[in-house]
Amino acid sequence: MIQLFHLFKNFGPSIALGDLNLRINEGEFVFVTGPSGAGKTTLLRLIFGAEIPTRGHILINGVNLSRISRLKLDLLRRKIGFVFQDFKLLPKKTVFENVALALEVTGEHPSFIRKRTHQTLKLVGLAEKEKAYPLQLSGGEQQRVAIARAIVKDPLILLADEPTGNLDSDLTKDIMILFRSIHLKGTTVVIATHSRELLEDTAQRTVFLHNGRIVGKK
Amino acid sequence: MRVRLLPYLFKQALSNILSNRVVHAIGLGTMVVSLLIFGTFLLLFVNLNAWIQGWGHSMSMSVYLNDDISVAQRAEITSFIGNLAEAEIKRFISKDAALRDLRSVLGSQAGVLEGLSDNPLPASFEVAFTDMDGRGTDLKGIKQALQDMDGVEEVQYSEEWLHRFEGLMNIIRLVGIVIGGLLCLGILFIVTNTIKLTIYSRREEIEILKLVGATDWFVKIPYLFEGMIQGILSGVFALVILYLGYFLISTKKMYFLGLAGLDFVFIPYQYTLLIILISVSLGLLGCFIAVGRFFDI
Repeated sequence: MIQLFHLFKNFGPSIALGDLNLRINEGEFVFVTGPSGAGKTTLLRLIFGAEIPTRGHILINGVNLSRISRLKLDLLRRKIGFVFQDFKLLPKKTVFENVALALEVTGEHPSFIRKRTHQTLKLVGLAEKEKAYPLQLSGGEQQRVAIARAIVKDPLILLADEPTGNLDSDLTKDIMILFRSIHLKGTTVVIATHSRELLEDTAQRTVFLHNGRIVGKK
Repeated sequence: MRVRLLPYLFKQALSNILSNRVVHAIGLGTMVVSLLIFGTFLLLFVNLNAWIQGWGHSMSMSVYLNDDISVAQRAEITSFIGNLAEAEIKRFISKDAALRDLRSVLGSQAGVLEGLSDNPLPASFEVAFTDMDGRGTDLKGIKQALQDMDGVEEVQYSEEWLHRFEGLMNIIRLVGIVIGGLLCLGILFIVTNTIKLTIYSRREEIEILKLVGATDWFVKIPYLFEGMIQGILSGVFALVILYLGYFLISTKKMYFLGLAGLDFVFIPYQYTLLIILISVSLGLLGCFIAVGRFFDI
């Protein structure tokens, strides 16, 4: 469960988020939307612990992010998958190595890492490309590698920042099917997007942000 | 941190070294040169020390006797020297023998001695000191005691030489400590900057590692391995080069200050271990400094 209490985030004089209160239940699928600069990415980075709030509190499964050590934050991140808008793939590592990285940091046994990475790449349809390097792939394929890396460790929470931003509508549908299948396994999914296409046909809860404040919910 | 991760992190370190091989090669080369300077200094110091110790062992003293010395006085001197644990009378040189020795030393110029009406040279005892290290034996005290005895004209030994060399050794030791300290600082600076450069070249990877849940130690340990590997390699290379240099020089007999041929020895194994230990410690310390402020993600 994700809980935000009176959350503020300033970058110098500019206010990225102001007095945000939000509760996302375990196993929920939530869209966070709004125009560019609304604070969607900042919100996701705060939930992930990549940013520190100026004021307020963030609780992940009851753990207050402001009050945990660096080590505990590192360990908490292993339970959260993050799909970055710019993918953040390592160009000198193969697709397989990029995905396996998320398990290697946990100290899992190498044979488990191999097996699990193969399964995940198969799930996202990239089993044939595991030896390729990210720059040899299309934008959609790179996006799927980023998703594979986020889900390979079976996270409790999956955060995705504009996961379909660079994709055409067919690929967008494929990616959303993938997110729904991950959600069906019980993972809490939070997707930040400004894509109307994604939101039109969805019955999922949607949070509207504008100038760092929640201006509506659906 | 699981122990199972260590082989993985070691492989990461090797992979980092290979992907930043130019930076590492430059760092390694500079470290080898620094350690080589330090090693050469140690080698010279060890050998100078050994030579001076050797001279100390072969120290001799000349006790010149008065011409009118009585038999009893001579016997007393002989007995005094005989009672010294570390000394023995090598030979007695009579007045005639002394003149003969001088003639043979002068060789073709011995004619200058022909005009002498009387033999001006005193008889003497040549005393050799055994089992002494040139410091523990109180040569000054012995000299004074002999000089105070009746029948002794003068006592001489190479004390000035010994003291001069002891002073020189102290200066060399001091210079060695200063140079060694400066070289250590230099090495630390080199390692720190080499690792900083490799961290900088991998900052994107470090950021991603942290974002997928890597602990600080997971990220830091490969760099510590890198520093350790760099330390071991530079220490070993420096010692190998030093040994090769020693091997080339030691095949020729060394002569110093016109003295007898000197043995040139390699530094003792304790010093070789010291060089490796210093290089590894500096490698690790440099890494600790370099990685200390790179993990604020």
